[in-house]
Amino acid sequence: MIQELIRFIREVPWEGGDAGGAFADLALRSFRLQCESIPEYGAYARHMGAGPDGVRDWREIPAVPASAFRSHDLSARSEGDEAVTFETSGTTISLPGRVRLRSTELYEASLSRNFARHLLPDRAALQAIIFGPPRSEAQHSSLWFMADHVARELCAGATWIVEGGEPRWERADEELARSVAERRPVLLLGTTLLFHAYFARCAREGVRFALPAGSRAMDTGGAKGTRVEIRRDEVEAAFARVLAIPPSHVVNEYGMAEMGSQFYQDTLLATKERRRARPGFVIPPWVRTRVLDPETMRERPRGVPGLLVHYDLANLEIPLAIQTEDVGARAESRLTLEGRLPEAERRGCSLPFERFLERERERVAEGEP
Amino acid sequence: MTQGLFDAFYLPPGVAEEAETSVQRFGPAHDSVELRLATVTPAAIGRWIDALRAARAERLARRPAAEIHRALERVAQRFLDPGSAPRRSAMAWLQRMGQFSAPMIERALEDTFRPLASGGVSRWVASEVGSVAALDAPARDRRGIPRRATGPEWMLQIYAGNVPGLPVWPLYSALAMKTALLAKTSSMEPVLAPLLARTIAGEDPDLAACMAVVWWKGGSTELDRAAVRDAPAVLAFGGEHAIASIAREAYPDARMVLHGPKVSVAYVSRASLTRAGLGGVAARAAYDVALYDQQGCLSPHAIYVERGGDVGPAAFAAALGQALEELRDGLPRRVLEAEHAARVQLYRAQAHFEAALESRGTRVLTSSQSTDWTLVYEDGARFEPTPAYRTVRVHAVSGAEEVADALAPAARYIEAIGVEAKGSERGKLAGTFASTGIPRIAALGSLQRPALTGTHGGVHRILPFLHWSTVDLGATAAKTRRPPPKGRKRS
Repeated sequence: MIQELIRFIREVPWEGGDAGGAFADLALRSFRLQCESIPEYGAYARHMGAGPDGVRDWREIPAVPASAFRSHDLSARSEGDEAVTFETSGTTISLPGRVRLRSTELYEASLSRNFARHLLPDRAALQAIIFGPPRSEAQHSSLWFMADHVARELCAGATWIVEGGEPRWERADEELARSVAERRPVLLLGTTLLFHAYFARCAREGVRFALPAGSRAMDTGGAKGTRVEIRRDEVEAAFARVLAIPPSHVVNEYGMAEMGSQFYQDTLLATKERRRARPGFVIPPWVRTRVLDPETMRERPRGVPGLLVHYDLANLEIPLAIQTEDVGARAESRLTLEGRLPEAERRGCSLPFERFLERERERVAEGEP
Repeated sequence: MTQGLFDAFYLPPGVAEEAETSVQRFGPAHDSVELRLATVTPAAIGRWIDALRAARAERLARRPAAEIHRALERVAQRFLDPGSAPRRSAMAWLQRMGQFSAPMIERALEDTFRPLASGGVSRWVASEVGSVAALDAPARDRRGIPRRATGPEWMLQIYAGNVPGLPVWPLYSALAMKTALLAKTSSMEPVLAPLLARTIAGEDPDLAACMAVVWWKGGSTELDRAAVRDAPAVLAFGGEHAIASIAREAYPDARMVLHGPKVSVAYVSRASLTRAGLGGVAARAAYDVALYDQQGCLSPHAIYVERGGDVGPAAFAAALGQALEELRDGLPRRVLEAEHAARVQLYRAQAHFEAALESRGTRVLTSSQSTDWTLVYEDGARFEPTPAYRTVRVHAVSGAEEVADALAPAARYIEAIGVEAKGSERGKLAGTFASTGIPRIAALGSLQRPALTGTHGGVHRILPFLHWSTVDLGATAAKTRRPPPKGRKRS
């Protein structure tokens, strides 16, 4: 099964590429396998009246709430021989959830193809500057696992800016200055919040770098779940102002530990293809996203926002169907996310649920520099 | 009624003329409301505070308290009159803000203003201060000691917008103790407080000269600081971060009452679970859950139901579901933003997960084809706040001790417990719950109607801000006013 999925993820065409219904077939087979290999998931599916024998359409595959990763073990059984354990963050109260994978092959297949297309469409081999910790310092973070993989497999070398939980800005300065001096473009990769902090520090100290053309950045996370409000246009303006990276070379990523696949903006790809960037994030062809009316849970028409349920073929050892609390809209294979209510506006003498959430998120955010 | 622009601020004459204003949009993009706001700057805040202090000295400090209270009572009466301009304006603009349905706003205005009308302000003040006269001159307290109560020169009040009517009692409390007021409204509900201020101005210009009601974006550090820095007293409602930042910025000697986020719960005894009584109990519980869509700190998120009655907790849960269903039309919920509805759906899915996998007998009851109400039933007491908007947990329990133990770790987040019980068990249950430190124990069905003379967050509404001058001149104490005798004895 895993080899079939890897082959599909590596080979399915980006545009209009699933004529034979291969996605549906693989999704249903994965689902049936998961009902057995992940007993909690199988019990849930049967409880919802959608067990392995009852489901005929991939859309009927019961989606697990992202919060269930925290309350239950939703990874395929293993005897302690998992290769990685990722901690999930930020959907509901209780302890962080866990994603245990015996094999990271699927995850890496999805990541490599998707990242290369959206960050390295010119197949450049760049030096990476990672605004985050090396994997050895963040063993349970899927994000820093991803950065590590990108650095190893797709880059000419890498430097990590966070060490011992502390950002080492002077290290970033050094690497960026070297890039300028040697006229060697770089790839920056990190969380929006950490970039934001670096830009604020650069503004305070009057530091700027005119990075050579071809330099690019991937930022992830936005300011979701934090009290900092960062507008997208401000992020882009800061990349241009401080690093001379134009908005066409800044790619935002949306992902979660509960999914093996990520979603990227197509800004850089559009530049390569000499067309306008399309709004939103690209849904890779091995992922389907359903947009549901949050009141009725019925599918919403194209372009109308609703709650997002993702079906990801890169999820084999964890359920492939994930119900999120994210709200967005879909048009063809693109996804636009709706902003959350600004945290500062959510005041009141009630709402402890939000408060608990916020505290939980902060805790996670602090663990993840 | 909602034609044209609404002035979502009130500044007294003298400073109003020089204030700059701008028009801003509030609410969701597809249905936003345009409101005119005063432009707030640190310098403007400073000027307003000076003007308020001067106005208080000239026009408020030496007025008899009873006269002030009568003016405030007349204003309350106007908001109770369905035909009056302020009442109609309040209804229209609160509806326009889209937070609550019309029947809920009606209820809120009634429950907020009724206790203040017809001598209500004086009774309230007397219940906390001892006597109204003590605000004018030393008056003998219950032990015969002459004391005078003085409110702070001015105070800062920061409102939340989670329940309609929230600003009214705080605003009244300031004027009732002759304190000038700078009030900051919430972006969720910036209309009632300025409307109330304008109505007071129409009734009693001297009172209104001592208050300013404006909005600025919470977390605007410079503005927050300018308002809080020198405030001799602060009353604030808000999230934990907002509250913490106010506490940090405030003057060390300031009298502060800060209301952070809280929720409530309810308890139903087995004796009250009879076949005949079930419908009524369920209706009272449903009303407490539905009113203000669980946005208030008095909204129950969990209902603990004793096993062993004529009807069991599961039957109560079913009846509660039915009662919530009836309120879909009777007391409609507001239309939810997608992200709130998505959170309710995620909560439901999580509950289904628990139902599938755990042995607590979890059952999930929901409104069909909507998020209008959600009920999660399970065995055993525990406390977990829900995402609100009529999402409630029902727990089957063995008794009050089990509930008190479950609530203990979260006690500081619980504002009230609604109790349904019969006869002598009421007192016993009240005793058990009072020992957990929960500030309010109320009858089920009236959780959201706190007494004006009661407490909020366990503290009084006026008393914490007063300071006292006690006359201690021995037996030859000078002339002091005595409180009017209670019930004249025949001589």
